[in-house]
Amino acid sequence: MRKKITIALAGNPNCGKTTIFNNLTGARQKVGNWPGVTVEKKEGRLKYKEYDLNIVDLPGTYSLTPFSIEEITARDFILNENPDIVINIIDASSLERSLFLAIQIMELGRPALFVLNMADVAEAKGIRIDEKKLSQLLGLPVVFTIGNKNRGIDGLVKEAIEEVNRFDKGKESRDVKYSKEIERCISRVKTRILENNINIDGALRWNAIKLLEDDKIVKNRFQNLSSKASKDIFQTAKECRKRVYDLFEDDFEIVLTDDRYGVIAGIIKETVTNLAIKRIDISRNIDLVLTNRFLGIPVFIFFIWAMFQLSFNLGAYPMEWIDMSISAVCGILDKNLPASMLKDLLLDGVIAGIGSVIIFLPNILILFFCIALFEDTGYMARAAFLMDRVMHTSGLHGKSFIPMLMGFGCSVPAIMATKTLESPKDRILTILMTPFMSCSAKLPVYIVLAGSFFAQKAGTVIFVLYFTGIVIAILSGRLLRAVFFKGQEAPFIMELPPYRMPMLKSLLIHMWDRSKMFLKKMGGVILVGSIIIWALSSFPKSISYSVDFDKQLNEIKYDFSQIIAEASDDKTEELTMQFNLEIKNIENRKELERVSKSYIGQIGKALEPFFAPIGIGWQASVALVTGFVAKEVVVSTMGVLYGVGSDEGNTLGKALKESGMTALSALSMMIFVLLYVPCFATVVTIYRETSAKWAGFNLIYTTMVAWGASFLVYQTGVILGAG
Amino acid sequence: MINTHEKEKKQFKRLFQQQGVDQFDLRFQILEAFLKLEHHVTVDDVLTQLNKDKIKLDKGFVLNSMELLSRFGFASKMEFDDKETQYEHRHLGLHHDHMVCTKCGNIVEFKDEALEKQQLKLADAYGFLMLQHKMEIYGICSRCMKNRDILVSLHKAKPGEKLIVKEFEAGKNMQLRISSMGLRIGDLIEIVSNGFGGQVVIAIGENRLVLGKGMAEKIRVQPFNEAAVEDPATEQESKHSVLSTIMLSQMKTGQEGIIRKVSGEGLLRRRLLEMGINRGSKIYVEKYAPLKDPIELVIKGYHISLRIEEAATIIVENVKYKKR
Repeated sequence: MRKKITIALAGNPNCGKTTIFNNLTGARQKVGNWPGVTVEKKEGRLKYKEYDLNIVDLPGTYSLTPFSIEEITARDFILNENPDIVINIIDASSLERSLFLAIQIMELGRPALFVLNMADVAEAKGIRIDEKKLSQLLGLPVVFTIGNKNRGIDGLVKEAIEEVNRFDKGKESRDVKYSKEIERCISRVKTRILENNINIDGALRWNAIKLLEDDKIVKNRFQNLSSKASKDIFQTAKECRKRVYDLFEDDFEIVLTDDRYGVIAGIIKETVTNLAIKRIDISRNIDLVLTNRFLGIPVFIFFIWAMFQLSFNLGAYPMEWIDMSISAVCGILDKNLPASMLKDLLLDGVIAGIGSVIIFLPNILILFFCIALFEDTGYMARAAFLMDRVMHTSGLHGKSFIPMLMGFGCSVPAIMATKTLESPKDRILTILMTPFMSCSAKLPVYIVLAGSFFAQKAGTVIFVLYFTGIVIAILSGRLLRAVFFKGQEAPFIMELPPYRMPMLKSLLIHMWDRSKMFLKKMGGVILVGSIIIWALSSFPKSISYSVDFDKQLNEIKYDFSQIIAEASDDKTEELTMQFNLEIKNIENRKELERVSKSYIGQIGKALEPFFAPIGIGWQASVALVTGFVAKEVVVSTMGVLYGVGSDEGNTLGKALKESGMTALSALSMMIFVLLYVPCFATVVTIYRETSAKWAGFNLIYTTMVAWGASFLVYQTGVILGAG
Repeated sequence: MINTHEKEKKQFKRLFQQQGVDQFDLRFQILEAFLKLEHHVTVDDVLTQLNKDKIKLDKGFVLNSMELLSRFGFASKMEFDDKETQYEHRHLGLHHDHMVCTKCGNIVEFKDEALEKQQLKLADAYGFLMLQHKMEIYGICSRCMKNRDILVSLHKAKPGEKLIVKEFEAGKNMQLRISSMGLRIGDLIEIVSNGFGGQVVIAIGENRLVLGKGMAEKIRVQPFNEAAVEDPATEQESKHSVLSTIMLSQMKTGQEGIIRKVSGEGLLRRRLLEMGINRGSKIYVEKYAPLKDPIELVIKGYHISLRIEEAATIIVENVKYKKR
């Protein structure tokens, strides 16, 4: 019988936790979200002797104060899921700060093990830690590791299992003793809890402290157990809090925080020797350039530029291969399958739909690799440091800059990149703002419209559009911050970790974890969505055409076969071309009528009154509706609807002008395209990363903004007589 | 001095005779005895002097006469905290102020033109016509200070005294407890009250701490001399360092300071404290971001960045340039 042990890994951000997790579990890990929140949950398995270890990577936190989702998640896991042991990874080179979390973990009363990671870095800094003494003082085992060199990992597992066994044999965790006044309060509340017979599975001292800290979550838990008893206990806690406030003129939790640092100072004094060897601080030297007053921002812009170059240029090759393979598959299926509705569904619905998304996979892989590189080296924090001032104007965190910038490429990876933001508010806000960054799929629309109507000034118009997108994003940020995320902004407080050499293994794991989520989506929602949109555009099947196109076609074919039989050989080629042109013409007209009578066309026509005030005709309305599938589709739909077939920009421009579209309505349409509902894939991504509520909000909000802006431009233009 | 005394006596005669004060001769003798004495004298002192001059007078009469002398401006009457009324010579046109030692009772006369002018200016600023003023400084005189042990136990300190914590004469446990209360070696403290069963209430910055007698006895402190720090001869930096607390956001690149206080509201404050930005920690300004916000700081050996608005909630002192 193999024994199962659950291990929770806890620690500060940047303490090398993930490296140790990767070393422990290798590729045997599962990445998902913690239930109900968007914090990434990682789990992995490991077999060791007769044990099956299940290792859970808790989110990186500095404390267990329940202020952020990460902290609540970590705390709840330890308290509710009862892992057999908590392994607290400590950055040995900054022991003092790390011990703050360590002490709180000790207080939870679960078996724990302290790992002094990056022992080599500490050594290089001239810090020597007496681990035996530390272990003695804390009453739990302490081991050294060097995560990125995979050293000490075996000892860690061995010690963890031994500690679990020691607890099974009755070992108890040691309490951290605070100053007299605090201890008096704790014991008063403890007694009161015991008197009231409230059962809180051990962790008595911890619960007492949390009640004294006025912790809402713990208070609720007590309330649910017994509202009468909890009233009595809360009263005692309140009295103690008041007493502490009177004595120290500060809240209990603040006094306790100070006290904790006092205890830590004592521990540090006992266990750490600082050999004052002044080593060159490499990180500092790197920062002399990377966050330099003059060089910092140009270097940052260069890195971002390089990232885009890499992902779009290097990514272009695999994209081409994917495109070719999709066409090849389509070609084969087209030839071998009998014509049926199922075939249409498969080719135009499933493959076209998935193909339009999977084509971005190379981009996404490379982008995520670059982002993982930024994160693992420690540059991400510097990027946030450099850009915070800019982002702060729209109420965002510096780290939001990168997702926003990625939005110029494609919103889907951009929204997924918001995972690097810690505060959920910042994350939602960034996600809602990103679609306003004009993505690359909108560019073909601008090229056709601006190219046809603004000729020489097309470049300027397109630049103004991009700029408008940025301005609208910033204004939206301010507006949404003021309306939905009122109150305090999350503090910026961010560690600038030392630069570290990234490990390829970690980079690849990070890249793959995120890309996997992207791929998963395609199997699910995007597939279903593609089928729905396909259905809308190909049904109803039985359309009563105003003209009998088939008859026309047959007539022409008949005519042509007569002509070609009579004509001389040298004229055949010319005639064939003429014939093809006419066939195409008829087919386009047929397609135009088919699309306009399909459900999607009906929707477009039904929306005509909605688009009229902004100067957009029914064809363009239909095109905009189909643009929900992907923005590139706007151009091809317009091609069909204006009767020129797809992919022919120049003729389309002519056709647009002939149909009576003016420069003003073209501008209005471009603004609408810039701002309106992002593509289906983006909306699904928003839904996945936030909630149905925010995805729905995004649909409505972007439409409103787009319509409002277009209306303003169009009507102003009309009044000025530019129409 | 003799000349002035002679002048005083002549005036005395003229004034007292004009006013028809009784027992003129006897009162004159009292004046003479008073003028023989220097500095600040009590009625008893005058009586002793009279005895020396073999003149026997009733204390009530002397008291009455001293009052008259005060009234006509030959003596100044002084009433210092919990002391007998004292008199000193009053020479018209010559004004001076006093410092009173609370330990030995010694009174030091001093005169400072700048101070006098400042007082006039101050009164003027308030639209106040100054007729008269009294300036008394209470403290410990230089002689007493010299005799005093430089390091004293905290429980012996007097209310209002400013002290620097020098050492803890305590075991490890006690040391830990003291430091966990937020009291560290090198802290500047002020005694709020002393007494009440040996309890000492001290202030560190804007925080009050209550120390039991046992604890107070074990904390050795040194009097803090603000004047010495203010001395222009000392370096300008150190002058700046102890006296002024500034906001962290006012610090310049390359400066180091000690955190005196973390204000700000709930969440932010607690976060800062949890990240190790707590009172008594050293904090170094590594650099400002290219756009002047945020700031990169070094605390407890690691780098952290804060926005200017967040840094403004942190009060630092002892700010000086430091090479790293």
